[in-house]
Amino acid sequence: MNDLELAQTPSTPAVRMDHKVGRVFMAGDSYPENPFEFFQPIIDWIDTFLKETSRPLSFDLELVYLNTSSIRAMMDIFDRLEEAHQSGRQVNVLWSYDPDNERVGELAEEFKEDCTFPFTIAPRS
Amino acid sequence: MSPLHLNDNLEEQIEALLTADTPVDGWKEPLRELFQRYMDQQRLLDRLTHIADRFQAAERERSQGYLVNYEKKVRQLEKIVRISDQYQTMLHQLKERLEHASNYDSLTNLPNRRYMTIRLEETAAQAARKPEAGFTVMIADVDDFKAVNDKFGHAAGDRVLQAVAHALELALREYDMCARWGGEEFLLLFPACESANAPLVAERLRLAVAAAPRISEEIPAPTISIGYTQHRTGENIDKTLLRADEALYKAKNAGRNCSIGM
Repeated sequence: MNDLELAQTPSTPAVRMDHKVGRVFMAGDSYPENPFEFFQPIIDWIDTFLKETSRPLSFDLELVYLNTSSIRAMMDIFDRLEEAHQSGRQVNVLWSYDPDNERVGELAEEFKEDCTFPFTIAPRS
Repeated sequence: MSPLHLNDNLEEQIEALLTADTPVDGWKEPLRELFQRYMDQQRLLDRLTHIADRFQAAERERSQGYLVNYEKKVRQLEKIVRISDQYQTMLHQLKERLEHASNYDSLTNLPNRRYMTIRLEETAAQAARKPEAGFTVMIADVDDFKAVNDKFGHAAGDRVLQAVAHALELALREYDMCARWGGEEFLLLFPACESANAPLVAERLRLAVAAAPRISEEIPAPTISIGYTQHRTGENIDKTLLRADEALYKAKNAGRNCSIGM
């Protein structure tokens, strides 16, 4: 499988998905014009990684603003991680945020609520 | 064996048996057949019930599954709405902060040059439509400010500017406006201020700053010089400002800590 790399734009986050180390990095704002088009390759990559390998998968997030469809897509992604975790797969999320913008931390808490896998929310130092 | 064919035949035989007064020869055969048929039907009925029950169970399970799925979706939707609303609130607050940052001076919290320029243009446009809505502008400049900065440092200079800004603001009426014009210069706008009142207002401001609480014992109490002028209907606002600037220059030359109009 391939690595996926998307450069940051004013309306989409930077995305780096490295299959060798099993790491996904996403940072920035997300309000893409066509959310399906933007998120589908990301979700497909995750599905393929979970299916074709047995390695752990780590998420490193620095997302700031998400519009409604991006929130939905992120919940879909976390649902997949939860399912993988339930079946014994090692997954984790680290969501870091600017301590000046405490609200982002509170929002990440909302996402974390239903997840039983390791999900850390930390102010960036 | 076709049930219908047998049925017809067997029914007749059984009826014949039942209507006879005494047992007819060969009565056992139809009875055995009848019993056999009864047992077959019983088995069929059992199977039918069993299948029907299973269908019913499957159906119940299916609708249960839909219900669980539905409830999950509703929870998910509520959550998306909740998160989305919070993000929107965040965006809104961010916008307000940006708006404030672009219109206000961060040191004195007074409107900045950008904001004041817009207000000046608006006020001049109003005056062009209603000539009686004349207005006065004043430029106030802190006297010997460079000396404070040089001798006591920029932090002390900043505190002096804050103190002056505060004193000016307290001396204004609600609809007057004071902006940080740049450096140690403040621009004041007095809508609907007649030229006869301008000297009084300028003096009031000057005295308000002179009477402001000292920020420390070693730093001398700040004073301001003021140049003021009346906007002339129809003239470009830049021209008004230039005249106020000239008046300020005269005030500085006249020994500072005074106000001069032009």
